[in-house]
Amino acid sequence: MSVALDSLSQLSAGFKKLPAWLQGVVNAFIGMGILLFLWWIGGILIESNPDTEAFAAFAPGPALSALWGLIGSSYLWDTIYSSLYRILIGLFWGIVIGVPVGILVGYFLPVRQVANMPFQFLRMISPLAWMPIAVLAFETWDAAIIFLLVMATVWPIVFGTAHGVQRIDPNWFRVARNLGADGYQMLRRVILPAIAQDVFAGIRLAVGVAWVVLVPAEYLGVTSGLGYAINDARDTLDYDTLAAMVVVIGAIGFLLDFIAVKLIKRYSWHVE
Amino acid sequence: MTSSSIWISDLTHYYNKKQSKPTLDNINLKIPKGQLTALIGRSGCGKSTLLQMIAGLLMPSEGAVRINTHTVIKPSAKWNMMFQKPSLYPWMTVRENAALGLVFAGTYKEKQDRVEELLDMVGLAEHKDKNVQQLSGGQQQRVALARSLATEPEVLLLDEPFSALDAFTRVALQTEVSQICHDQGITMVLVTHDIEESIAMADNVVIMSHNPGQIVGDMDVPLDYPRDRNAPEFTQLKDQLFSEFEKIDQAKQKELEQQAS
Repeated sequence: MSVALDSLSQLSAGFKKLPAWLQGVVNAFIGMGILLFLWWIGGILIESNPDTEAFAAFAPGPALSALWGLIGSSYLWDTIYSSLYRILIGLFWGIVIGVPVGILVGYFLPVRQVANMPFQFLRMISPLAWMPIAVLAFETWDAAIIFLLVMATVWPIVFGTAHGVQRIDPNWFRVARNLGADGYQMLRRVILPAIAQDVFAGIRLAVGVAWVVLVPAEYLGVTSGLGYAINDARDTLDYDTLAAMVVVIGAIGFLLDFIAVKLIKRYSWHVE
Repeated sequence: MTSSSIWISDLTHYYNKKQSKPTLDNINLKIPKGQLTALIGRSGCGKSTLLQMIAGLLMPSEGAVRINTHTVIKPSAKWNMMFQKPSLYPWMTVRENAALGLVFAGTYKEKQDRVEELLDMVGLAEHKDKNVQQLSGGQQQRVALARSLATEPEVLLLDEPFSALDAFTRVALQTEVSQICHDQGITMVLVTHDIEESIAMADNVVIMSHNPGQIVGDMDVPLDYPRDRNAPEFTQLKDQLFSEFEKIDQAKQKELEQQAS
């Protein structure tokens, strides 16, 4: 009797207690499964409604088969390349401007007091609102879009960096000075490693905003990139391609975020 | 008479100009070479401020500090300071932390062995590759000690570095540090408000009073190392220092009353 109970409890424990990482993977698949299911239901609803019947290609079946076709084509890869190129250049300038500004804001109280209001003000403006100005100011559409991306990425990076600098233990400066550090060494050995995790947390937010802003920005003017591809697919009534592009956008966004999270972990110095 | 290593002359300090009494008032002090001198006084007597001035982390309003042939105008790895908190860099291993002063000086490559020896000496041989956050408080302070010694300082300044440790670790480190002082001939200045600590570690004790911060007395501790804290001479010196303190407090009280009337 007790042996039977024991083996029963072992069995149920065996069902419940997957290794933590495997449980995580299973849960992730369950989440994606639910999303796919909802998409599938949506597809059926669209198809069964005479008003929206024409858009039936949005459903997972046609979209995924279109995606399969696209993966083999250079069109998709050129499109992704154009978008990633803009994101990376935008992010590059966001970092080049945002990190030094963030260090100044975090380190010097007066700078923080002067900068706080204007920065909070500018931060709240949708990067897309700069579009008319960007178009006037830059000769090419590409440059205008990159400007919008810089406007999107710079604020999270500034605030992330400033937050990191403010969290630096003042004793770290004192000890380093005491051990004979010069200004450059202080930056390289103390400030940058101390703030790296917060900078990457800012970059993670920046990537998220930039990726969201990129697609509508690419609706305008340019003839390449994921935003353009979506608009083009709409104009040619290629709804399966359109839905496939949406999947691609989501997948790349996920990948970019994944990389940012890895970087945060890599540069995080908290030991559990 | 041993020769001096640190000269403090006519040092007066105000934190701000509105102060009626200086934080440190006309301090003149010679600190003997290769010995451990304790600066002892109540909180607020300016002993930590004085130590920071020896380290070059603060500049006095008046007067100067000289260490051997140098007038102190800025911090230097030659006169190094250990703080109450170890303040290690949490993104570095034990070894990287201990080596930092040599890395700053650009001499780590040549002096790698020194870092290894020091870490062995302070009892961290098995922990060199660990992250410092994995260590106990006492072990962290040992890393800070190795870091301070790595740059071969002539003077080591100790700003209550044992006060946050548990009693056993504290006693062990007190013994080890005074040992290091005499073995390696490093001049040490210890700031503390712990009477037992000063008797356990120091060759001589300098007594400070507060408001204004002044030097009001000194005492030699002519005991051999390692010191037996239960020996009658030890207890006697401890009592003597304690009654010295009470005398100073009473005198201070009288002075304040006279000023008031």
